[in-house]
Amino acid sequence: MDDLLERAVGLIEQAGASYGDVRLRRDRTERLAVQNGRPEHIARSASAGVGVRVLVDGAWGFFGTHRLQAAAVEEAVRQAVAIARASAAARTEPVRLSPLEPATDTYETPHRRDPLAVALEEKLDLLVRATRAMRGPDLRLAQAFFSAFDTRQQFASTEGSRLEQHIVQTGGGIAATCIADGRLQVRSYPNSFRGNFATGGYEFVEAMDLVGEAPRVAQEAQALLAAPPCPAGRRTLILDGGQLALQVHESCGHPIELDRVLGMEIAFAGDSFLTLDKLDTFQYGSEHVHIVADATCPGGLGTFGYDDEGVPAQKTPIVEAGRLVGYLSSRETAPAIGRTSSGTMRASGWNRLPLIRMTNVNLLPGQAGSLDDLVADTDDGLLMMTNRSWSIDNKRLNFQFGTEMCREIKNGRLGRMYRDATYTGITPDFWAACDAVCGPEAWRLWGTPNCGKGQPGQTARVGHGVAPARFRNVRVGVKA
Amino acid sequence: MSAWAEASRDPAARERRLLALGQAMVRTSRAEETEVLLADGREFLTRFANNTIHQNVGAEEASAVIRLVVDRRVGVATADSLEADALEAARESALAVAEAAEPDPDWPGLPKARPVKPVKAYHRATALATPRTRADFAAAVIAAARERDGEAAGIVQTEEGTLAVVTSRGVAVAASRTRAEANAMVTCGDGSGWAEAVAVRLSDLDADRLGRRAALTAEKSRDPRPLEPGAWDVVLEPPAVAEWLQYLALVAFSGKDVEEGRSPLAGRLGHQVTGDQVTLWDNARDRRTLPQPFDCEGQPARRLSLIREGVAEGVATNHYRARRLGRRVSTGHALPASSPQECMPMHLFMKGGRATANQLVGEMERGLLVTRLHYTNVLDPMETVLTGMTRNGTFLVEHGKIVRAVRNLRYTENVLAALGRIDGLSRRLTRVPGPCLVPTVRVRGVQFSGATEF
Repeated sequence: MDDLLERAVGLIEQAGASYGDVRLRRDRTERLAVQNGRPEHIARSASAGVGVRVLVDGAWGFFGTHRLQAAAVEEAVRQAVAIARASAAARTEPVRLSPLEPATDTYETPHRRDPLAVALEEKLDLLVRATRAMRGPDLRLAQAFFSAFDTRQQFASTEGSRLEQHIVQTGGGIAATCIADGRLQVRSYPNSFRGNFATGGYEFVEAMDLVGEAPRVAQEAQALLAAPPCPAGRRTLILDGGQLALQVHESCGHPIELDRVLGMEIAFAGDSFLTLDKLDTFQYGSEHVHIVADATCPGGLGTFGYDDEGVPAQKTPIVEAGRLVGYLSSRETAPAIGRTSSGTMRASGWNRLPLIRMTNVNLLPGQAGSLDDLVADTDDGLLMMTNRSWSIDNKRLNFQFGTEMCREIKNGRLGRMYRDATYTGITPDFWAACDAVCGPEAWRLWGTPNCGKGQPGQTARVGHGVAPARFRNVRVGVKA
Repeated sequence: MSAWAEASRDPAARERRLLALGQAMVRTSRAEETEVLLADGREFLTRFANNTIHQNVGAEEASAVIRLVVDRRVGVATADSLEADALEAARESALAVAEAAEPDPDWPGLPKARPVKPVKAYHRATALATPRTRADFAAAVIAAARERDGEAAGIVQTEEGTLAVVTSRGVAVAASRTRAEANAMVTCGDGSGWAEAVAVRLSDLDADRLGRRAALTAEKSRDPRPLEPGAWDVVLEPPAVAEWLQYLALVAFSGKDVEEGRSPLAGRLGHQVTGDQVTLWDNARDRRTLPQPFDCEGQPARRLSLIREGVAEGVATNHYRARRLGRRVSTGHALPASSPQECMPMHLFMKGGRATANQLVGEMERGLLVTRLHYTNVLDPMETVLTGMTRNGTFLVEHGKIVRAVRNLRYTENVLAALGRIDGLSRRLTRVPGPCLVPTVRVRGVQFSGATEF
């Protein structure tokens, strides 16, 4: 453990704090974007600093510094304590933390190829080949992306925890943008907004076969230009994995954050319709809906060893047979439901306060077989694929999503393609209308690398395991 | 306060230090062209909810964005530090990236130095605001909410920072700024209200006024009733107007998107794109906004007309996009070289009209008054179709009077078309965090596609 941390913990104790923790964090990232056969954007970044969090007179204070010298860290402790004392002056109830057994441990993301050690030339070659494999008369932008995040963190608390973690996250994808007659259509693989992401090494991107998928992606974007718009009405709807992952994220992941439920985020992102009185009683969805928050599942973008309060990664039941049974919680919020922390506090960097964040909020597989099986079991409906747009109200009830592509389903077969597909609903009504979830053979993890929350703003990388699922009587085809 | 902390708060000293650091990096660079963007500052944010401070944070942050060019190959690397070893590592990283990149035949070179006039954007007392000052501000908002039996949530934030750009083309500029922002959301039972403000000086923000305004709206918006979605005439308060304009800027006003054909203004500059009552511009130098004298390439900020009387006139560029669009110099809207977005207008203005906000409501036969919008997102960038929710006070207006609060609605609307249906604008412009300076506007026939349960 770095001497800076031990020194900071000692100063926190001397200052009379009832609790304190210190994180020394070093982040390295790399983002590559290739467009139309040539590298368009290559950027690397490095960040290192210390974040000090203290509980003084029952109130929190936090200060972060990029200066890794003893004097700067001492100043950070002084600042954090002064901020906490000011908080205490306007605090009604003292913060109380759920108990935690101190731990000394290390954790590292299992990975085969360090994504930042792979030669730039090798990564760029893959992306260039993928964009060159996209063809089409109206193809304006053939894009390929790679991102890697490497985080090393040391954590020390006044309770005696000493933890070291090394998290490796990698992602990539391709996108074809066709433009004609003032109309723009995008098709992406394996997911929109720069692809799919996981904890793991470069092998995750190598397994995507970006070059092999590129011709299909470009063809579909071209075909979308000529496709009719998604008709309006109420239809049976099947969502593919990429879109369903974001549906879980927005309509389940955020409303189960206990800080939102307790009103702590109300002025910014909002609160939650899943109020405390609903725990263990509320029917969130149908009997087919089983959801867990699992920070331990291998490869999940939200997988780690310990959260940023030093709480071990856990698998927490959230929805069982449609009934709400749990929340994402922290040491401060868990006592409100009579439990201990579910280990979800994470900060986006050394300069930010840990917040309750999704880990991997997973919809467990059902018994509906593969996506082909589910389509074959559907007489009349729509299959919507790959997210294009999302919006949800501040209690997470009314949502509206747009997808890149839509296919009609007639008599168990996929039919015509539709563009500009949208669907909308009210969260518990929508999940109550879920009558089938595909099985383990169709279940996979999706990474959401851009989850925003908090003030100052923080971006978290979280995961969602899902298998495609079917929903009845959904309103589709919303237009301006 | 330590000697280091005291010295770091002298903005002139900080500017000199960053310029010297940048010049040393440029002087010792092995690349043909070098651009160094350096930032150093502090940010403090006090957050309250349930009538108590629950999060209270501060951080001192620094960053360096280094862009190197070798044989028309461009490499970018960033470091969140100004320490010598971190800067050297970033420079080596940028060089490695440049050497791995392909030559860009269109690379126009870094822009040369152009005169930059300073702006007043720094307020020492705001830079020195203490945790106690922010806590007192929060307490004043909470007290105003309590007067109406409300619960307050929100933020009060102060920050100071210095930005410097030094390049091998002779650019060497630095400027310091402060910024204070506060907002209040007050809930009274099932009603809620909102108020927000941003300024260079914390002393220009009035905690009591913010709290009272949000509490008043919260009280009025109790017991909201369901309302059938559909087309409604709407008076949009400034936060809602600003949200539309900021998303419009995102999809329409970037020179990069125009050049790549994915902006709705691609091929339409000089054409009527919305109603002639709509005039939009960007001006980072205007003292009514949060002024900044130059962009991230060190080019002077200047007024840029975006839409004049409904006609698309301009889009924001950095040097690279300006040249590709056939312009000699940029509009002064470069983002850091590490940003894939490249260029964006960040200080939007909308021309007002002749009315007062009260008149806009008073003249409405039947319609809605919308306080603010929530979670807006883009459905179709080429058609500027956005969707989002109303929030913190949506009211039914009949015969010029607010008759009751209604539950929040989802809009799905082509914003350029909707702006074309504006039939009234307030004379007064309000500064909204962003920053944007916008009027209250009345729009005919806004499409509401759904409703929620509160």
